[in-house]
Amino acid sequence: MTEKKPDTPLASNGRGRRQLGSRGALFAGFGALLMLTAIICVDSLRTLGAFATHNTQIRQELLSRERTLEQVRAGLYESSNIARDYILIESDPRAQEILRTELQSIQNETTAALTACIQSLSTGKKEPFERLAQELEHYWSTIGPIFALRSTEKNLGNAVLRGYVLKQNAEILAITKEVSAVNDDELREADRRIAEVLAQFRHRLLMVATIAFSFGLILAGTTIIYAVRLEKSAEEKYHESLQAQRELKDLSKRLVEAEERERRAISRELHDEVGQSLNALLLDVENLTEMSSEEGPFRQGLQKIKTLAENCVNEVRNMALLLRPSMLDDLGLVAALDWQGREVSKRTGMVVDTVEENVSDNLPEDHKTCVYRIVQEALNNCSKHAYAKNVWVVVSQEPHHLRVSIEDDGKGFDPSHVHGLGLIGMNERVSQLGGVLKVDSDPARGTLLRVDLPLPSASTDREN
Amino acid sequence: MKKLRVLLADDHIVMRAGLRALLDRQPNLEVVGECENGRETVELAASLEPDVVVMDVAMPVLNGIEAAKTIVTQRPATAVVILSMHADESYVMRALKAGARGYLLKDSAAADLISAIQAVSQNKSFFSPKVSRILAEDYVRVLKQRGAVDSYDLLTSREREILQLLAEGKANKEVATALNISSYTVETHRGHILQKLNLHNPAELVLYAVRKGIIS
Repeated sequence: MTEKKPDTPLASNGRGRRQLGSRGALFAGFGALLMLTAIICVDSLRTLGAFATHNTQIRQELLSRERTLEQVRAGLYESSNIARDYILIESDPRAQEILRTELQSIQNETTAALTACIQSLSTGKKEPFERLAQELEHYWSTIGPIFALRSTEKNLGNAVLRGYVLKQNAEILAITKEVSAVNDDELREADRRIAEVLAQFRHRLLMVATIAFSFGLILAGTTIIYAVRLEKSAEEKYHESLQAQRELKDLSKRLVEAEERERRAISRELHDEVGQSLNALLLDVENLTEMSSEEGPFRQGLQKIKTLAENCVNEVRNMALLLRPSMLDDLGLVAALDWQGREVSKRTGMVVDTVEENVSDNLPEDHKTCVYRIVQEALNNCSKHAYAKNVWVVVSQEPHHLRVSIEDDGKGFDPSHVHGLGLIGMNERVSQLGGVLKVDSDPARGTLLRVDLPLPSASTDREN
Repeated sequence: MKKLRVLLADDHIVMRAGLRALLDRQPNLEVVGECENGRETVELAASLEPDVVVMDVAMPVLNGIEAAKTIVTQRPATAVVILSMHADESYVMRALKAGARGYLLKDSAAADLISAIQAVSQNKSFFSPKVSRILAEDYVRVLKQRGAVDSYDLLTSREREILQLLAEGKANKEVATALNISSYTVETHRGHILQKLNLHNPAELVLYAVRKGIIS
């Protein structure tokens, strides 16, 4: 014990630092893990978002190119139709004018769509479209003169249409097919790129997840170890405090016992030795007085000694009774309680009513003392603090219990606020014998104190 | 006249010696033995058959009150005088219940012991004047505190007469002879007295009489 003491503060200090350090590490670890998770989330979301945008953009681009091609094809088809109609059917100048306007508008639309498409393309992809535009330009320049022909020259027109325009038409269609093929290639290329990006993304995710998982695993392990250590130390502390509590209780018990033992020893000493010696002295003085026949200073002196000794006897008896009443040991609890009631009543004017029911003379020593001291303390409180007029003390013995109740009609108190040393002492005595003490009090009413002490079975056997 | 045989019991040697010196000076008394604990007293009382046992309350092995109980049971003719330091009712009551006929305070033993021995040997009760006074005072105080009516007023004059004779230690038959009535009538009166005074046994009746100053 004594060797352990000096290094206890040091050890606890070191443990405190270590605890602080590991706590910091844990906080940092959990922080890092959370951050990592957050980074993974943000990164994944961003990648997925960019991926979706990119994908949509490619598809829209392709779609718009396909649409342009479609428009070019439709333009070709329609323009050749218009040209044919112009040559074969229409001779009415008004209808001819309508056809001419229609052609012009088709030409404008197609050229505009193609120009817009070329402008939206990157330089590398422009080439087939520019070729298409040239071809188309050439086509328009070929088809244009047909509408300048007069109705008589329509045969020539027919020849131009059949031999030249249609051929060009087919060529352009071939180019559009080519462009379409390029488009398809590009689509496949885009798909491939997307797959590549996805694979990269998966790889990165896997890597980060693996790192996070391993890190989490280490962290979990550390936390468990830390928690277990903490738990163990808490348990140790708990046991230590329990032990301390037990020791304290034991100490207080021994203190109470020692006090009682000392009181009894001093009381006995006063009563048996001092008291008896004084009584013997009185007897001797009386014997001397009787032996001396004549009156005078000798007899007066003896009388004085006698008075002094009588006073001493009274003094000593009262002191001894205050320390520990001899009735408790000579006559038992009932007699001692009755005596105490009478004494308190005589001293304070408070009416003390003492009732004992079936209380055995052979109660265990500890129980006798406990009940006596509790009633003593309670009566003291009744007269000192409660200013009671009446007190009722009831002690009753049942097969396995000894019950005590002390009730007064004085000023009560609030038991949840008042914790006097007297009450603590009573509680201590009662709990040492495994009993229960209950205080029922209210400033408006008096106080009812109840004690329930379990009795060891041996004492109940000897009940008389 | 035959000498009274006295057995002396006290665990305190000096006290015992003082008592013995006091008794030895009396021509009509003879101390037949001395004991220093309760058990020894019980044994000697049985073998020596003394007329009076003078005994301390607080003695080792067996205390005076327990010893008195045994002595009176085994030989009712033996009168027991209890010596005590306490004038308290508890002790007096226990002594009376145990069958003691006299109760003396040690500090007044010198003055009263001889009268006590003579009284109990004639089958009368004896108490130290101080004991009677204290018991009476206590009784009056309790009556005052509780504002109770003195139950003694409930007794008829014949009942009071009988109470005094009984408290002095007389048997029903002796009372009957003294008052010239039948012992059956005495028994009836005795029942009434106990009932009116709320008493339960002869010891309580004696104690009551002492408190009231009817006997001393």
